[in-house]
Amino acid sequence: MSEQPTVASDAGVGTRPVVDARNISKAFGGVQAVDDVSLAVVPGEIHAVVGENGAGKSTLMRTLSGIIAPDSGQVLVDGVALQPGDTRAALAAGISLVHQELSLVPEMTVAENIVLGSTPTNGGFIDRREQRRIAAEALEEIGVTVDLDELISRLSMALRQFVEIARAVARKPRVLILDEPTATLTPAETDYLLDMLQRLADRGLAILYISHRIPEIFRIGDRITVLRDGQHVDTVDVADTDPDAVVRMMVGRELEATLGEHREADPGEVIVSAKGIRAPGVNGIDLEVRAGEIVGLGGLVGAGRTELVRAILGADPRTDGEVTLTYDGVTHRINSYGAAIRAGFGYIPEERRTDGLALTMSVTDNITLPNRRHLSRGTILERARIKRFAAQLADVVGLRPPDVSREVGQFSGGNQQKVVLAKWLGREPVAIVLDEPTRGVDVGAKAEIHRLVRELADDGKAVLVVSSDLPELLELSDTIHVVRDGRIMGTLDRAEANEAAVMALASGQTAGTSAGSDTTSEVDA
Amino acid sequence: MMTDEPVAETPSPDQAAATTPAAEPGIEERAVTVTEWMADRGIFIFTALLILAAAVFIDGFASLTNITDVFNRAAPIGIVAVGMTFVVISANYLDLSVVAQVATSAVVLIAVSNEYGFVLAILAAIVIALVYGFVNGVAVGVFKANAVIVTLSTTFIGLGLLRWVSGGSIYFGPPDGPVRVFGSTRLGPIPLSMIVLVAMTLLLSFVLNRTTFGFLVKAYGSNREATRLTGANTAMVVIGAFVITALAAMVGGFVLAAFSNTAVSSMSTGFDFRALAAIIVGGTSVFGGRGSVMRTLLGVVFVSVLTNIMVLSGLGFGMQQMAIGLLIVAAVSVDALARKAGTS
Ligand SMILES: Nc1ncnc2c1ncn2[C@@H]1O[C@H](COP(=O)(O)OP(=O)(O)OP(=O)(O)O)[C@@H](O)[C@H]1O
Ligand SMILES: [Mg+2]
Repeated sequence: MSEQPTVASDAGVGTRPVVDARNISKAFGGVQAVDDVSLAVVPGEIHAVVGENGAGKSTLMRTLSGIIAPDSGQVLVDGVALQPGDTRAALAAGISLVHQELSLVPEMTVAENIVLGSTPTNGGFIDRREQRRIAAEALEEIGVTVDLDELISRLSMALRQFVEIARAVARKPRVLILDEPTATLTPAETDYLLDMLQRLADRGLAILYISHRIPEIFRIGDRITVLRDGQHVDTVDVADTDPDAVVRMMVGRELEATLGEHREADPGEVIVSAKGIRAPGVNGIDLEVRAGEIVGLGGLVGAGRTELVRAILGADPRTDGEVTLTYDGVTHRINSYGAAIRAGFGYIPEERRTDGLALTMSVTDNITLPNRRHLSRGTILERARIKRFAAQLADVVGLRPPDVSREVGQFSGGNQQKVVLAKWLGREPVAIVLDEPTRGVDVGAKAEIHRLVRELADDGKAVLVVSSDLPELLELSDTIHVVRDGRIMGTLDRAEANEAAVMALASGQTAGTSAGSDTTSEVDA
Repeated sequence: MMTDEPVAETPSPDQAAATTPAAEPGIEERAVTVTEWMADRGIFIFTALLILAAAVFIDGFASLTNITDVFNRAAPIGIVAVGMTFVVISANYLDLSVVAQVATSAVVLIAVSNEYGFVLAILAAIVIALVYGFVNGVAVGVFKANAVIVTLSTTFIGLGLLRWVSGGSIYFGPPDGPVRVFGSTRLGPIPLSMIVLVAMTLLLSFVLNRTTFGFLVKAYGSNREATRLTGANTAMVVIGAFVITALAAMVGGFVLAAFSNTAVSSMSTGFDFRALAAIIVGGTSVFGGRGSVMRTLLGVVFVSVLTNIMVLSGLGFGMQQMAIGLLIVAAVSVDALARKAGTS
């Protein structure tokens, strides 16, 4: 492959790399997750790492930060080799990782979480003043204001993400690694985060940045390293390349231009009808979804969209309101979650690890779960059919590797998401609710998932999508309801919908349905 | 209702065709560390080695009378353990109240048969077992109370009630009653208790591996919220696990009573932890989601043979107890390490 520059050219401020990973390899059983990859990062540089789901990005970052020991290769910090697989040594040397999956303790405060793992003590007791000082300083450093004594469980996803970054920054790192930090953020929050990273880099911090969102990378990146199937494809200067070239390197072929393609929607009868829905965070919402229609719910993270769809389904109790599912001339009243599923709803939840998957079970088992009745005779499971059924669905969603007997927890983030989708596709639901269906999914897989969602609608299903990814929302939806503070602030049909209009309603900048004014990109943290 | 019915099994052909399955290089087994291997296969090897070593080195181990005796003693605990495996797999730790359940079932079997006949005794025992199963199951599954606390409480209530009603006295069955007949019947050299143990294991193994209920118990143990969100009635899953445990404990009580044709409220002391030892030594995870009934049977054999070896070597009860304790700590540690290795 291409030789790795040990001394970076004009990429950053300094020239000597802070971190120099040499010939890293790591296999999990038969899967070569990382295959002889070298990577050097210089101070002040934002170095993007991209690749498809399962390309080995997270694995590589976990070897850099000592969470796992590589099978071969070594990590040098300022020319000194790190003890492999030693998290403390990596931290001490200045490597801080912000995980792909949030790792805060929900029942602890912001301050406690930020110092977690290096809690300051005084004569054996926790030094609360020092704890607060460190936390406040870290938050100040990244320019986010949040109550130090608030419990994490009471913060929005976006704020949790910022606290997570503050925790990494509190260690005074020299290299900050962020593994898909923007997956849960809205555009405005993403803007804020990217500006913040730029500021940190300007002060000399080296940043390794993983994202599936190519525009972000071109906005803040200095260099890009592309991985494919665990191998190092190339490292290029952002100035010398363009998004298409990067995507080509990632997938190793031309990607058909499926994005932005519009479907001729032909909505039929009303299938899902929700009236006067109230629940914690939801303040009286009416909503209808027709056969063959994709209804999108837009808004900022924390606007109450997840709460709304869970209340509609009965996954969380609602305090008021009525939901019905009508098809084949029969109207089913939905009064409990069990009734919703029995009547023909499918639900892809936002949090795949806690709500979507049994991580210690195989893909086959996870797919069997919602389809168990169909896959059994009486109460006896039919194994041969289950096997075929699971393999077929894994194929439909393009699972990689396509080994359905593997535990779900061993798949990369994006592939786990495909398993959640596969579970419900098998049931052929009448109405399907998807909450952030492509979070953490790579470009190719995202296009695949979009195609599957469109096919569901073309098949006459009612589809309700929550997405904080504006281009996705605009691309998929026939109708967009914009939610803020648990209310629908406006409804846009396909002709009226554009990013500015959605953001204006979402942030409350303008009222009404035809917002033309530009939006500010501020996060009130 | 109607949409629970078959939903097309085959995704439309064009869907299937559109995604070319990525031709992947071999993705067979993943690296298996020593701890993972121990947690997975260790019990087979250890049990075989233990039996072999005992046969060679311990005088009196390899005699027919000793082997039958080992199984006769192992059967009641084994039957309890295969049932309790369901509670452990559902990630509810264990059912401490099996101690009360086994004793109650034994006392009811003998005392009620003496007074009102065998059939009524069995019926009464079944009703009591169902009550135990539902009370534990509802408290844990519906009210989401902690299983250890709940079953500790029902142990107190159950044993208290039993002692109060029975006055702590020992009940003897008539020397020619059906209980005695059951306890002394053999098929060739094999005592009936052993056949009951094997039959229970096969039955429950089938329930766990092949039925939708057993599948849900595992899924619930792996991730209860994800299982709930697939539309499963999770309260029934938990109640089912406790009812199965209670019914197994009832059968265990019968076998225990039949063995000596006597029953007393204190006869099942230590059954809770001995059953747990067999379950986790067998390799069922205390974190839930993983495990098997067959493995529990193997764990029972292992623990029983080990105990027998200690008895034959003249080690006192204290030493035996210590050894079981150490065994549990070791098995749980291996389980925890394997789990960590598996998800790192
Ligand atoms: N603990 C594990 N056990 C077995 N296989 C693993 C484990 N962790 C990762 N893998 C495998 O290693 C490969 C690389 O995974 P990794 O998580 O690094 O991908 P990624 O590039 O971060 O993908 P994504 O964009 O989906 O997050 C995948 O094939 C994955 O299935
Ligand atoms: Mg990853």
